[in-house]
Amino acid sequence: MAPAKGHFTILYFAAAASFTARSTDELPAPVQACSLFAQLEERYPGITLKVLSSCAVTVNLEYIDIDEDDGLTIKEGDEVAIIPPVSSG
Amino acid sequence: MASSTIVESLRKQIASCEAQLKDLRRQLAEAEHYQQQQREQDSLHQTTAAYSDPFTHDMSYGIHDDFRSEVFAALSHVEVGSPSRKWPLDKTEYKRYGRQLIMPEIGLQGQLCLKEASVLIVGVGGLGCPAAAYLVGSGVGTVGLIDGDIVEESNLHRQVLHSTASVGMSKVDSARVALNSLNPNVRLVAHPSRLTSESAISILQDYDVVLDCTDTPASRYLISDACVLLGKPLVSASALRTDGQLMVLNYPPRPVGDPSGGPCYRCVFPKPPPAESVVSCGDGGILGPVVGVMGVLQALEAIKLLTRQTNEVFRHVEPKPADPPTLLIFSAYSNPMFRSIRLRNRRQKCAACSAQSSVTPEALKSGSLDYVQFCGTISPINALASNERISAENYAKIRLEVNPYTGMEPDKDSHILVDVREKVQFGLCSLEGSLNVPFSTITTTLPNLANTWHNDEIPQAQGWVTELKNHPEKPIFVICRLGNDSQLSVKKMKELGLDHSGQRWIGDIKGGLKAWRNNVDREFPEY
Ligand SMILES: [Zn+2]
Repeated sequence: MAPAKGHFTILYFAAAASFTARSTDELPAPVQACSLFAQLEERYPGITLKVLSSCAVTVNLEYIDIDEDDGLTIKEGDEVAIIPPVSSG
Repeated sequence: MASSTIVESLRKQIASCEAQLKDLRRQLAEAEHYQQQQREQDSLHQTTAAYSDPFTHDMSYGIHDDFRSEVFAALSHVEVGSPSRKWPLDKTEYKRYGRQLIMPEIGLQGQLCLKEASVLIVGVGGLGCPAAAYLVGSGVGTVGLIDGDIVEESNLHRQVLHSTASVGMSKVDSARVALNSLNPNVRLVAHPSRLTSESAISILQDYDVVLDCTDTPASRYLISDACVLLGKPLVSASALRTDGQLMVLNYPPRPVGDPSGGPCYRCVFPKPPPAESVVSCGDGGILGPVVGVMGVLQALEAIKLLTRQTNEVFRHVEPKPADPPTLLIFSAYSNPMFRSIRLRNRRQKCAACSAQSSVTPEALKSGSLDYVQFCGTISPINALASNERISAENYAKIRLEVNPYTGMEPDKDSHILVDVREKVQFGLCSLEGSLNVPFSTITTTLPNLANTWHNDEIPQAQGWVTELKNHPEKPIFVICRLGNDSQLSVKKMKELGLDHSGQRWIGDIKGGLKAWRNNVDREFPEY
């Protein structure tokens, strides 16, 4: 499902879905990848320390490195996923 | 120092020679098989040619080559069928594995690869049980099982090798019984204890492929590090609630520092999840088929790895580079249920597999790498002062006993009991008169309404605060399942000002409902 105009979709899995109590959000695009966590922290206080710091982040099903991918921009219509490590089994 | 290097080097040489020998034996078995087939076909050609049967001519030309040789083979089996005939597989194996033998992805060569292979399954629980069942069923020659746990009743809904009768038995023994009856041809190796960093290298080195079916962050990093150091492919899976993850790691298993090798667990998740997210009482739910799916997929990936060579050599499929590494996400209640994430190559600064690696075999063996500490300690939470806590027995007195001095009946209305378990758990069983405010609601409640993002959710999320503020004189007792979330909830309630600057007592019931059941009411359900 495509996000509304001028937005991107963000999917929350596992602990990220538990923390935000939702599986998806639509956020305004464009946004710098490196400022994504700060934006999420504003909306879900505490999420950076408790969830995001250990998560894998993907854009359109590709793994990205928030700290090292300087200048990467999340664009309108992109699908971002927040994937915390699941360790149980 | 020098002698230990020599020992290490000799060990490596022996291992490499053994692997070579194993491969040569397999090649020999195949070559002998083909030689024999060839001979029989030749002799059959001669025999049939010797008969000047008028139909011979038609037979040779009117039928497709493949079919003809198949017929010859069948005939030769009947006519020649000498007792010295040597087949690469046992007669019963042809029958048992028949349905996968006729798959072009496996075939005879694939089956021989499986038979020669050894797979180590670390953790014989929700993932390990189905993975082991399919690998043993498929005829993997040697399957190793590691687990230090005992079978419990609450394991049975998902750990499909264990039965009601094996409750109390070690998981490794229970699995051995089940697997042996499934396929007695497979050699099962039991390691009935938890994998430690000291033992990891010596246990893992005997196997071709490792399956991580464990349940803690610490063991995931340990197994990944050991696989990187030993050059073993690792099939890693996990599951919680309705979500699962699957990765084939360190594949191709190139040496440490070689950027063309597959990424390791640290490359994908360099930082462990915070320890308290693993301790939380709300954690721990799991749907059987969710973890089952992930375990079955691990078995599939292991079979693909072990028979990969077959496909290239014998099906004349172009040897292609290994599939790009992926992280498969399973989310049972999402649409789509599966998402495949393309991973990157090895991380340039990875602590385990890069040229800058700090993880060494020596560090692992000596135990100087503390995986438990790396992932954070999981000691019980002790967040409250002793005057903010009450034992289950003392709370029971408040609830159940007549006051010996005043003769007053116990009154549940004299205080508020807040149960902070999630709604579903509260629905299973609760103490009479308790008010349910889920821990997740408490932790996400903001002191300042203006900061709240979802305006539509304010009334519901803040409703509990208003409700508790309506009775400022009543003390609040907080209870949860095990006594962790209740402490954090008490702290949060005080932050939110519910204690009216210390005028109202707010405290937790030590040990939660578990303590209530153990010390007060044996009939209260355990789940
Ligand atoms: Zn790595």
